[in-house]
Amino acid sequence: MMAQITKRNANKFLKDEYDELVKNHFEWNIRILESGSKPHSIVNGKEVIMMCSNNYLNLSNHPRLIKGAIDAAKKYGAGSGSVRAIAGTMKIHTEVEKRLAKFKRTESTLIYQTGFAANSGLIPQLVGEGDIVISDELNHGSIIDGVRLTKSDRAIYKHRDMGDLERVLKDADKKYRRILIITDGVFSMDGDIAPMDKIVKLANEFGAMTYVDDAHGEGVIGEDGRGIGAHFHIEGKIDVEMGTFSKAFGVVGGLIAGSQDLVNFAYNKSRTWLLSGSHPPAVSGAQLAAIDVLETEPEHVKRLWDNTKYFKKELNSLGFNTGNSETPITPVIVGDSGKAKELSNKLYDEGVFALPIVFPMVARDKARIRTMMNAGLTKKDLDFALEKFEKLGKQLSII
Amino acid sequence: MKKSLILDQSVFKSCSYKHLIFSYHMSVTIGFIVNPIAGMGGRVGLKGTDDVLDKAVTLGAHPVARQKAEEMLQAFCAVTLSNDDVLWVTCDGDMGDNELRTVGITNKQIVYAPSGSTTSVDDTKNACKKFLKVPLDLLLFCGGDGTARDIFTIIDKKIPLLGIPSGVKMHSGVFGITTTATAKMLQEFIMKRLTVGDAEIMDVDEELYRKGEWKVRLYGIAKGIIEPTYIQVGKSLFESVSDDDLKDELADHIKDELEKHPDWLFLFGTGGTIDHIAQKLNIENTLLGIDAVYQKKLLAQDVNEEQILRLLKKYPKAKILLSPIGAQGFILGRGNLQLSPEVINKIGIENIIVVSTPSKLIHTPILRVDTGDKRLDHRFADQGYFMVVIGYRLSRVAKLQTNSF
Repeated sequence: MMAQITKRNANKFLKDEYDELVKNHFEWNIRILESGSKPHSIVNGKEVIMMCSNNYLNLSNHPRLIKGAIDAAKKYGAGSGSVRAIAGTMKIHTEVEKRLAKFKRTESTLIYQTGFAANSGLIPQLVGEGDIVISDELNHGSIIDGVRLTKSDRAIYKHRDMGDLERVLKDADKKYRRILIITDGVFSMDGDIAPMDKIVKLANEFGAMTYVDDAHGEGVIGEDGRGIGAHFHIEGKIDVEMGTFSKAFGVVGGLIAGSQDLVNFAYNKSRTWLLSGSHPPAVSGAQLAAIDVLETEPEHVKRLWDNTKYFKKELNSLGFNTGNSETPITPVIVGDSGKAKELSNKLYDEGVFALPIVFPMVARDKARIRTMMNAGLTKKDLDFALEKFEKLGKQLSII
Repeated sequence: MKKSLILDQSVFKSCSYKHLIFSYHMSVTIGFIVNPIAGMGGRVGLKGTDDVLDKAVTLGAHPVARQKAEEMLQAFCAVTLSNDDVLWVTCDGDMGDNELRTVGITNKQIVYAPSGSTTSVDDTKNACKKFLKVPLDLLLFCGGDGTARDIFTIIDKKIPLLGIPSGVKMHSGVFGITTTATAKMLQEFIMKRLTVGDAEIMDVDEELYRKGEWKVRLYGIAKGIIEPTYIQVGKSLFESVSDDDLKDELADHIKDELEKHPDWLFLFGTGGTIDHIAQKLNIENTLLGIDAVYQKKLLAQDVNEEQILRLLKKYPKAKILLSPIGAQGFILGRGNLQLSPEVINKIGIENIIVVSTPSKLIHTPILRVDTGDKRLDHRFADQGYFMVVIGYRLSRVAKLQTNSF
């Protein structure tokens, strides 16, 4: 028998690198939801109050969304058969886009497969050689990856600091062809909001384009959850409003809203949009129903904010530091990473599911539990969670 | 790229809800040396103390180094580290042992004893020779720029340095800002939260000083301790990127600049960051001098003001590549005096490119300029800010100040 000669072991690194992660306890240990994503969920066999999902309005289990999904599947089938550009654009896809434009009060919209696909597909097309992207220092990873794919120069401005942004703009104005200012709408670590009105004003002064990732603002801020444009009463004035159906809307899918020119440009040039299969009809059916619900049932957004205000107020009166949050993302800042992690563990044991965010995701002394509010939580649920926070906060000498 | 995963494991442990066990094995060996006479000259208006101790004493100077060292050690010990965590390797008497004893540190070894009752530069240097024979993780010293320079003469880059500020001048990049800040840096280093990187050793040019001029020179690049830079590789998984990798990115950026401007002269400034960039571009650069580069080739090495002005006649289009140096973040006026006001005026402020690793910019967020020409300084002040290149095609704004130190 001839000896087999192997040039190299092509797959060895897969196991080696995973083993290294496990050895250092860096691996993701995926938790299994044994119920729907609900205010009370079953996580790894344990019933917990869900405070770390993005299902802000509790729409993922809303009967109208479920019905929308079922009806669309019955009418159009399970899959779309193609990418949008070739043979995968169904009437229901275009219906969602029309309804969304009306809801967002913009000229047009385009649905992407995911929010990540929107950022990583569109950003690299908006700027190129000789252009500059100016980015808030705390922007989300999908923006960072989108920017990495560009051939443009990049500059960072201090978080929400308009003076710093203006200084970068002044410098960029002299040197570049196109300028793109890009920011998260709601920042997911602190729950604070980008001053979009001021950003748009500065952008107009310098002839810059504006792009906002409103993933945590869609369905949450602005009139009836119309997002950051509505929040600042500047609908249609932000060049690209990017968002997602996967959080408050309770479904999945990315979106951009803006002018017809933007949409025409985007679907012809975004490779993620052009090269991925389109949404299954059930997804689009649920998306349509989510817009319906937002337009006709304002109580969900109201309840989300009532819950948020109550929870924040009570946390503050217990002595917790909740930072600069202006949204249903409420960080409970405990300082030390070990303590944040310990608090999260103990909360879970007591039936409250909220994840710790530690260094280097946030500053070393700003480790926290990040709580995300859900419109479906009752006052009794919130009081239960607050009682646990109080008990454990005292136990761990946080308050 | 050389990367390492970060040590802070809380996120991942939390995902699995395992119990977090803090297991920092802090068996580190720290060298500790105090220059007992450091800082005495300052209160009586001298620019240093070494060589002029008698004069300082005559003028009424009192020792301050011991107090500063003890303050720092007290702040360090206030955090719950057990006595066995750190082995201190030090010198007899006021050169280290007495200060350690005052704060109750007993886990120590004495490797050097000064011969006389007053210590001198030779004592610092001789002690350092002893330190080199012990495997030290870090050398903690108490003094000023002169002390840092004396230590660097012997230690070079072999041991990372951390300075407790106690001298008359602290321009070098190895110093903590205050005694408390130094204590915190040492704790973080022991907990492996800080990493080793370049730090400039700077001091007054003694030759010029004797002629009545007070100019700060760059003497060399030591190893200091710095905040690592992290990049997000997963959702909550981060990797720390080495300082050299970050400088490689800066080199890629400058390579593009050189290619985009083939008929421009580039003056490469002083310091470790620019030296690394030059090396990466295969340009034989001088660490402490200004080098002229044209079309990616070295044109002239270690040029002085006169040579630069001559080059500018031949190559009127020129850019200067600078990096903040020292503890105060000077880009002009410390360690690169060849770049005189006349040179800067000829080249133009708009043709200055400032580069810095992100960690260095965190440490020195304000860039300082002191050209010696008030009108030129005013022009910098009017600009107020500078774009600093911190990565490949990546920049951010830094504040500019023209006050001198």
